[in-house]
Amino acid sequence: MEDLLECGMDIGERMLICGGDVHRVEDSLSRIFKALGASRIDVFIITTSMVVTVHTNDGKSFTQTRRINETETDFEQLHQLNQLSRQICTQKLSAAEIRTELQKIACAKKYPFWLDWICYAVISGVFTLFFGGNIIEAVSALCIGIIVRLLVILCSKAIGNRIFSKFISSLAATSLAYAVFYLGIIPDPHKVIIGGIMALLPGLGLTTAIRDLFTGDSMSGLLRTIEACLTALAIAAGYFVFAMISGGVSL
Amino acid sequence: MTPHELIQLIASFTGSFCFGILFRMKGIRLFVSALGGFLSWGMFLLLGCFISSQSLCYFLVAAAITLYSEILARVLRTPATPIITTALIPLIPGSSLYYTMAYAFESDWTQFWNKAVQTMQLASSLAIGIIGVTAIVQLVMRIINRKTCKKSG
Repeated sequence: MEDLLECGMDIGERMLICGGDVHRVEDSLSRIFKALGASRIDVFIITTSMVVTVHTNDGKSFTQTRRINETETDFEQLHQLNQLSRQICTQKLSAAEIRTELQKIACAKKYPFWLDWICYAVISGVFTLFFGGNIIEAVSALCIGIIVRLLVILCSKAIGNRIFSKFISSLAATSLAYAVFYLGIIPDPHKVIIGGIMALLPGLGLTTAIRDLFTGDSMSGLLRTIEACLTALAIAAGYFVFAMISGGVSL
Repeated sequence: MTPHELIQLIASFTGSFCFGILFRMKGIRLFVSALGGFLSWGMFLLLGCFISSQSLCYFLVAAAITLYSEILARVLRTPATPIITTALIPLIPGSSLYYTMAYAFESDWTQFWNKAVQTMQLASSLAIGIIGVTAIVQLVMRIINRKTCKKSG
């Protein structure tokens, strides 16, 4: 059972990292261990840590904890893990089998890295159009999106602080949009900035926060809400710092 | 339909699609989410013809999209949260958030409060829409699970 618990923890950890909501992870783990013959399961999960105790029928109990430091949204993997946990429940896989399956999921084909860059660029451009910008503004936003993406990667490598990297990205998006504006290429910078900001907004964090809060995981919900609010503040701060440096540009 | 609305519809599909890729979705789930993005903005424009309150529109669209995601999540046997998030991307009040900041910097406090309240209203309408439907779906699933005593979810 100890071996199985280890595997279960691996599944739970991966699910949390990939962006699963706490309710789902707790639910999956409870189902898995119930199916594998535990008499009692205590699962406590918040966004950054998990504690699981499994009681077996012969009166033994095992506890393991995991600390979750990173998040790396990967909904395809989350889907696969979800399928795996269903499979464990119906077929009662052994620890070795679960390990091979996990290995398979981890090694699954990923999107190439340049696709991310294109997506960032397209998101910025497309939302500039969405909020009423013209083609030239959209193209500027597209280019700015690529540069912002570069900064996000550099910042997260160098500093490892997500909130600070959002601040830098927002500062960069704002300054670049104003640079293009002062060069006389676009009539006003607002729509380009909005396009750049859309790719940074914590939409995912907030949705998961809401779902966590109202499925009874108030602890995780609060943590995520605070993180989403801080991210929004960091984006605003980036804008303000630029505006202050440039000495109160007329808006 | 004005040309700008057509552009918005195309943009909402493309935007959600790209966010789906950033969230590492694939295949049918990516398509369903992007289609959700298109539907959410389409519904918003359609409701806008009949309802003058923007927050009410946001609430109704959020509720409808959550229902759409929960149903498709069960059909496709996958978690619902990714689909909801990706599909609601076009409704995120990014522009009103930006103008809130812009007015604050301009010290135009009347406009600032207008935009700030608007942003909060839109964000909470989205939240309430999602919460309402999520709660109902969970209630229904609990009743179904209890009746069949079958493992699912």
